[in-house]
Amino acid sequence: MRNGNVNWNGNRNRLMAVVALVLSLMVALAAVPAMAAGYAPDATAETIVKDAASQGKVGNWGLGNEYEVQALLSKYGQPATYLSQAFDMDGFDDDSILLASAMTYNELGLVKNSYQGGYGYGDAVKYIDMNDEGVAMLEDNIFTTAAFAAANPNTVKAFVAASVKGWAYACQNPAEAAEIVYQYGSSVSSEHQAYMAEEVKKLVETDTQGNPVTAYGKIDDAAMQQTLDLAKTYIKLTDSVAAEKLASLTLDDIRDSSYFDAATAEGAVPGAPEKTDVTIQLKWLPQAQFMGYYVALSKGYYSDAGLNVTIVPGGGDISETTAVYTGQVDFGVTWVSNLIAANAGGMGLTEVAQIFQRSGLVLVYKVSE
Amino acid sequence: MNKQSNAWDQISTFLYPVAFGALFVVLWQTGLLHRLLGADTFTLPLPGRIFTIIEENTPAIMGNVRATLTVALGGLALGSLIGYLLGVLAALFSKWGKGGLTLASAFNAIPIIAIAPILNNLTKDFSTDANIRSMFAKILVVTVTSMVAMSVNAYRGLTELKPFSLDLMRSCAASGRQIFFKLRVPNSVPFIFTALRVSVPGCIISALVSEYFAEYIVGVGRQIRENIVLAQYATAWAYIVVACAMGIALYAALLISERILLKGRG
Repeated sequence: MRNGNVNWNGNRNRLMAVVALVLSLMVALAAVPAMAAGYAPDATAETIVKDAASQGKVGNWGLGNEYEVQALLSKYGQPATYLSQAFDMDGFDDDSILLASAMTYNELGLVKNSYQGGYGYGDAVKYIDMNDEGVAMLEDNIFTTAAFAAANPNTVKAFVAASVKGWAYACQNPAEAAEIVYQYGSSVSSEHQAYMAEEVKKLVETDTQGNPVTAYGKIDDAAMQQTLDLAKTYIKLTDSVAAEKLASLTLDDIRDSSYFDAATAEGAVPGAPEKTDVTIQLKWLPQAQFMGYYVALSKGYYSDAGLNVTIVPGGGDISETTAVYTGQVDFGVTWVSNLIAANAGGMGLTEVAQIFQRSGLVLVYKVSE
Repeated sequence: MNKQSNAWDQISTFLYPVAFGALFVVLWQTGLLHRLLGADTFTLPLPGRIFTIIEENTPAIMGNVRATLTVALGGLALGSLIGYLLGVLAALFSKWGKGGLTLASAFNAIPIIAIAPILNNLTKDFSTDANIRSMFAKILVVTVTSMVAMSVNAYRGLTELKPFSLDLMRSCAASGRQIFFKLRVPNSVPFIFTALRVSVPGCIISALVSEYFAEYIVGVGRQIRENIVLAQYATAWAYIVVACAMGIALYAALLISERILLKGRG
């Protein structure tokens, strides 16, 4: 009995030693990533990009969203490779991605804020802005096929004018616009929708240089040219026919400002739309990213213009360029780089308005204390 | 006479599908197929264009094929091995074995698109090299999907013995070990091939889909997805053709090795 006790005590001591060892190991292991993560608050974009790239921890979703990130990597002499980032920010949260792609109006809000679905980092994260780095490419636009525009010029003008009116109202009343979008069916919480509306307003009202936009939806040729030049460098097409077409594209192959100019000209008298039932394909799920269209629908701007508009939500691997090309829908919202790739492949798409005037893509990183 | 018709039977089972395939390609190339389906040559490019792309990009395509084959065959090997061991366990502990395997079959019902992202997250600490840990995650997806067919078939092969063969072994005073290695294991070999006939085509499909969600961007499946989203249909079709060729080649290799290995068995 006594012997048993002694043995038990001896075992317990050994057990405690093992437990202490395991615990200290766990603490040490947990401390390693915590020390590795995060960059100094005053670190330059160059330092951060070079470090994250050397560790192979720059993330992007790919699928045509990667060109600005590749341009930034090349700018700092890094190979243009990146990790495939999921549609959540878990990879950023667990440090498998140190420099993660985020849209200012979506993922950045989820990383910073602590509402439903948020990660609550607050000011413990900072970001590198593609506009500041000179590698901005234009994103959300309104496009259709050149053939549809030629056959239905009044429809295009009416649709552009009413949409732009919707965007103007949405940007002046972002809280109300967010609420309207939320009513139409939303994939995210109303708080996130409100945050998104505020951020989207900035993209619609400021250009890539940081100057205020003169007219909502106007096509900025200088920014378009920068987008086209970067697209030609970073869009890699396997198909040699498409690659040759890409190299030969000019601004006139991807945008037509005449509809916007005619629709928004002083004292313009709108002609009767040739086609009154029209559809617009969104690039993603219903959210404030597309608030201008929902506001135009809700406030009756489309019906005032003689149009019966149906908004078709996107999501997942939806190819909005194909949907417009095949005529399933009449208009679409896409990123200019995706339109360029599609036209290189042989689709005759044309942009008729440019809603986002600056890039909403940032690379977010954690700041060390 | 009989011999001749047998030979014709053998040739015709091969010839008819090939002739149908050739007819299909001709219809496709001449555009008749497009008229039948109401498709255009943009979303359904002509075979000539597709093969030109394959020809012009052989090194890049082979790089992706290698990545996909590593995942498919690695997962198939690992899954089949684990599956066979599960079958052995089930055969040894037959009381719960059969019920346990029925439960394991439930694994088969898990969609690949559901487990792929989960396995991605679980394997993040496997390696600091994204290519390696991502490859591991993809191999695990294929492992899970090819494990079940093998375990169920291995169990059947190890337990469904020829009548009286077990009695014969026992009457010769064979030990449990001898019964296992001399009777049960040889008896299970044809069942292994039955399992492989299911899991070989399955492993290619699982590998292609697992690439959609992988952290590291490589592989035939990922190329199909990228190119469709970028509206590069001709390139996407080139990779689809390559994926089909991979599946057919693996299945043919399986049939040939089955014929060689099972020669002389009834």
